[in-house]
Formats: sequence, C-alpha cells, structure tokens
Amino acid sequence: MTLPRPSLFAAAMATALPAVAQADDLITRNRVGPADADNALTFRLTAFDLYSADEATAEAFGEMFTDFILDNPGWRIDTQLQTGAIAQEQARIVEQARAGRGPDCAMIDSSQLATFKEAGLLAPMTPYFTDEEIDDLFPFVRDGVTDANGDIVAWWWFTDLRVLYRDTTQVPDAPQTWAEMQEAAASVAEGGMEGILFNAGRDEASAFDWLGHFWAQGGELVDEDGRPVFFEGENREKFLNAVKLYADLVESGAAPARVTALASYDDLLASAAAGSTGMFIGGNWMYAQIQNTMTEEQAANWAVSPLPGPSADERATGTGGWAIAALSDDPAKVEMCAGIARLYAGPGNAFQRLLPTSASLYAEYEEFAGPEFQIFAEALEDGQARPGVPIYPEISNQIQILLGNVLSGSATPEDALDAASAEVMDAFERL
Amino acid sequence: MAEQSANSADDRLARLAAPAVTEAEATPPRHPRGGVAARIFSGPLPWLLPAVGALALFYLYPIFEAVRLAFTDARLFDTETQLSMRSINSMVGSSTLGVILRNTLTYTVASVVGQIALGLAIALLVVRAERARLRGTLVLRTIVLAAWVIPAIANGIIWQLLFSEAPFGAINSALRMAGVAPVAWLSDPGNAMTSAVIATIWQGTAYSMILLYAALKTIDPALYEAAAIDNARPWERFWFITLPHLRAALVVNAILILIMTLNMFDTILALTGGGPGRATEILSLYAYGTVFQNFELGRGAALSMLLLVISLSLTVVLIALLPRERRG
Repeated sequence: MTLPRPSLFAAAMATALPAVAQADDLITRNRVGPADADNALTFRLTAFDLYSADEATAEAFGEMFTDFILDNPGWRIDTQLQTGAIAQEQARIVEQARAGRGPDCAMIDSSQLATFKEAGLLAPMTPYFTDEEIDDLFPFVRDGVTDANGDIVAWWWFTDLRVLYRDTTQVPDAPQTWAEMQEAAASVAEGGMEGILFNAGRDEASAFDWLGHFWAQGGELVDEDGRPVFFEGENREKFLNAVKLYADLVESGAAPARVTALASYDDLLASAAAGSTGMFIGGNWMYAQIQNTMTEEQAANWAVSPLPGPSADERATGTGGWAIAALSDDPAKVEMCAGIARLYAGPGNAFQRLLPTSASLYAEYEEFAGPEFQIFAEALEDGQARPGVPIYPEISNQIQILLGNVLSGSATPEDALDAASAEVMDAFERL
Repeated sequence: MAEQSANSADDRLARLAAPAVTEAEATPPRHPRGGVAARIFSGPLPWLLPAVGALALFYLYPIFEAVRLAFTDARLFDTETQLSMRSINSMVGSSTLGVILRNTLTYTVASVVGQIALGLAIALLVVRAERARLRGTLVLRTIVLAAWVIPAIANGIIWQLLFSEAPFGAINSALRMAGVAPVAWLSDPGNAMTSAVIATIWQGTAYSMILLYAALKTIDPALYEAAAIDNARPWERFWFITLPHLRAALVVNAILILIMTLNMFDTILALTGGGPGRATEILSLYAYGTVFQNFELGRGAALSMLLLVISLSLTVVLIALLPRERRG
C-alpha cells in the first residue's frame, strides 16, 4: 500500500510523538518517572547534574535517571532543587526532617555529614551495599559515612581535594616544599605577574584550602572528644607556622594583598585564564575547567601537583565532596535512595570526571585514565576530611577572620590566634 | 397643573419627613437586647478581623516566636531546648558585639545619608528638567530605577566585579588608564566598608528618588514664582521653600531606608562576606551567620531582637522629627 506523502508524514508523526512525549514526560523540572506512579520518593538534589545549566550534563543525567526509573517500575522521584546557599539549604533539610516534612533522600555536603549523624536523622543504608563496595571506600570516606553503631548512613559519592596549579612557562618544576613555593612565587612576582593566588576571604573555601598546610605538620583542630585544641601545645606552633606561610607570601609581594578579598575559585580561574598569575591553590575539579575555559595551547601550559608541605615528605590536603543519604524510615525508599547514590557514584562520576570515593572505580571507567587522575589519586593518599564535630563551622569562621586580619595587617598572627581561640571556646561552651 | 404642583409639594414634604423616620428606625438602639455580642457585631470589628488575623499570623507570631527563642538555648540540631538567659548573656558579653555595632552604625549612617542626598539631588534634577521641558527625564528615571529592581545579591556580585583588584578589574583598570594608582577596594579593611556603602547607595538611591520626586511634585509652583519675583536665589528657594515642604517626606523616607539598610545583609554577603576579617560584618549578617553557619537559633534570635530594638528606637526618634500634624 502506498500512502500519499502527507498521510505518510502523519502516520510517522502519530507513531513517533507518543514515544517522544513519553520520554520527555519522564523527566520534568520536578519529577523523574510517570506522574501517576504508585510510589513516590522525594529527592533533594543540587543544580549541578540533572538540572545543570550545561545541556550536555543535564542530558547525560537525564538518560541515567530514565534508565534508573525504567528499572524501578511503579516508582516516581519527586525532585526538589537546592540553591547555592549550601549552609542554609542543609539547615533547611534538618529543620524539615525534624518536623516530618523533610525529603526521603537528599544530597548532603560532606562537611555537614557529622551534624546530620549527630542529629540522628539518617537511615541506615548498610543492607543495600555489598561488603565489597563498603570495603572499597577510601578509609576517610568510610569513617565519614559510618555512624556510632557501625552502620553506613550515607554514600559519599564523590570527593575533591586541594592542589597547586602552576603555569609551566613561569614555574617549570612543581614546588615540593613551602620554601620552593615561596621562591617560585617571588620569582614570578619579580616579572610583574602575581606570584601565587589563594582564597583568604570570608568563605569556607579559604579555611579549608589553608588547613592543608596546618594538617601537613600533623596539626589537630580538635581532640578525640571534639574539644578544640588547635591553639594550644604543639598545635599552636603548627598553626602559627601555617599562618605565617601565607603572611610571608603577602608581605614579600609573592602573593598580592588582594587575596583577602578572594573567596571564590572562579576568581582564581579568571586570573589563570587572563595569564596574570603564575600559580594558584585550587580544587581538583578546576583541571577540567582549565581545559574548557582556555585555548588548547594555553591550557597545555598549566600543570597540577600536590600541595607543597613544610618538607617534601610532610603533605596534606583537605578532601570534601558530597554524599547522598536517606531520611526516611521506609525501607523501600531507603533502597531507592541507595540506588540513586550508586548511580551518581558510578556513571554520574565518570561523566563529570569527579573523584570517585572507591578505588575500584578509577580502574572501572576509562574516563579516569588521564594523567591528572594519577596525581589526584596520589594526593588523595594525604587527604584529610574536616573533623566531624559540631564546633567545626565556628573554627572555620574564626580561621577566615584570622586570615583576613593577619594578611591585611590588622593583627599579628599571635594576637589573631588568641582572639580566634577565645571566640571558638566561647562557642564551644554554648554547645 | 395647580393640582399637580400641590401634589409634588406634598411629595417633597413627605420625602423630607421620611428620612427622619427611616434613620430613626435604622439606627440600632444603644442598649439592644443582644447585649455585648450584638454591639460588637454591629461595629467595624467583624470587618477588621480578617486583616487583624492575617497580621497576627504572619507578623506578630514570628516576632513572638523570635522573642521566645531569644530566651532559650535552642540550636538547630537539638531536639530539646530550655528557657535560659544564656543566648542573651553570651550576646551581651561577646567582645565581638562592639565591633559589629560599630560597623553597623558606620554602614547605616553613611548609606542612609548617601541614599537620601543622592535621591534628592536626582529628584530635583528631574523636576527641574521637567519644568524646563527638557527631553530624557523619563529615561533618567528609568535608568535610576533599573538599579533598584536588581536583587541585592546580584548587586553585590556586580560591584564585586567592578571593585575587583585583579589586574583586569574594571574600576582599577580605568584608574590606571587615567594615570591614577589602583585602589584596594575590597582587600583593605578601611576601604572595604566604603565600597559596601557605595554599592548600597547605588542600589537604594532610586527608592529615595521616587519618594522625593512625588513630594516635590506636590509643592505649589506659585511659591517658586513668588520667590522669583522677590529675587530669591536658588539656594534660598531650596532652603526656605523646598526643604520645609519636603520635611515630612524626608523623615518618612529616612525611616523606611533606615529599616531597609539595617536589615540589609545580602549585598555585603556577596560583596565581601563581612571581611576582610570582620571589617564589613554588620549586625544582620552576624545574625545570619549565627543561625545558618553555627546553627545557634537562640543566639541568632537574640541578635535579631537587638536589631529590632535598634530599628524601633531610631524610628521613634525620627518620628519625633515629623511635623506635628503628620504624627498621628
């Protein structure tokens, strides 16, 4: 039978449209899966994947979620987007969960995991992961997601770390020690560029990026009971050494005084792209940003290396990232949440080239075969997570204030540390 | 005809008499049988109840809740809270509070004065241009208003880009081209507050301009004509005619801007985050950090109460400056 062209077109459209509509309907701005599904799971997520502004990322995660929901018939995921105000969003989840209105499953900033665990809001997920999967987690990750009963209460699906980026036309060899880093930065600054940049403004990034220098000496922020100890005994000296490292960089002109106004990695990337800085301390994810932002020729000049330490053998770097956890008592919902976590940890990570938290995933996906991942994996061996104690936000706040005061010349390192310790202990006594 | 007119005269008489009877019947007796309830329901209260209820629910209850929280040791992650003076005592005894209050005073006074002065200047310019039938006054008003509709957080980001001290920062690049040394707008503790004030004035000026423009339009032009006949100089016209007639509008404007500025924290949050150190940390930002970073609900509520008391006290002072007939 031969159909006239218009009829053929109409028939083709009639066949194709329902399929297109069905695929489109499975992912909306607030839902994954059929609207009339019998079971619904609420999932509070960030705006960096399924709803990313980057079309390719949103499309890739859309396909992953479509496959996931088709593998789980009868389910619908009601998605709820978190804004960029991370602390506020995480606080809101806690408030809502306590009032019985929280999401069933949520993305939780790794720095807030301890707070959620302490509040007793997270449902155990141990039955939904194999022993091999749990054993394969990096030790600091496993510790972070395990509660006092030994249960896995979240799945830390990617981690990140702080590294040193350098323009190899200015700094050919990776500095291994603080002294080498200072020397290289001073040399670049003599040429009229900014020697080295780092965050030292009022943001958690400033404190966390700097903490690697404190931890590299074996410094401890809190003792086993969670009491702040960074200002006393040997820790005091180590703390002041790390502060003086930044202060010396600024005073010598190797780093510009404007670092006290830097509180965003985007500012660092902008300076690198403008070719106005020789080095900067940033996150591992910036490696991909450099490749995407700069021309191929320009990007080829940038190299990454672990953060220098006081000596080449003393290194540390702060490790962060995000976890997915269940806040529901319903085992079926907890299992769905674990499934979503597995989705993000495997193919989700591979697509975004974030750092997996399990050693085996580096070998499983070819996306992690690049030379930079070898450097990141090496640096992860010196990785240190933030202490999971309720006083950490205030310690971080006081480090940010201290760095601003010292680097702007408003206070000496010793006076600033005394003021910070007094404020932290006041806050600790109010806990 | 005579009969008709006699009838209509009777009708008029009847109509004149009728309302007296009707009104008497319609007016409820002073002590009806229904008692208090009937009296309440015959008054305006039933009509006001929905508005009073909405105000109580959405305004008074949150304030009451904040006051209650201020007298507890509540933290976001604690399930049990106790009535306590700890939050208030820790706030009052904190060595930081003095710095925060000093920052708040500097920021608020400079921002309010700047917004009123610049808003008045632009409003005078627009009115003057309109009187001279110059073109472009609508465009000028629109441009000024454009700043006002930008969210405060975006305003902070815009000014952060402008004040950037990177070699490619906008304002510093312009200064370099003009042969002027670059300025440490955000990294120097002394300059950072000035930068925050500039960003706030830039955005808030439009609000003052609108209020004062409307007030200027109500001044009788005959007063200026009379002053011109008397050879009054421009500053005399401004001092003896404009300012006295703007007094009420200026005070109301000051009250509204004062409250908005005291509560403003998003511009500073995006611009400096309160730094370097605590150089630009004002009371509202400090309260925000206390609740959303340290999760101390009780202490955050106590700080909010302090902010409320400061706002109310300054408002009362400003109301005293209103012309007597406007105070009611």
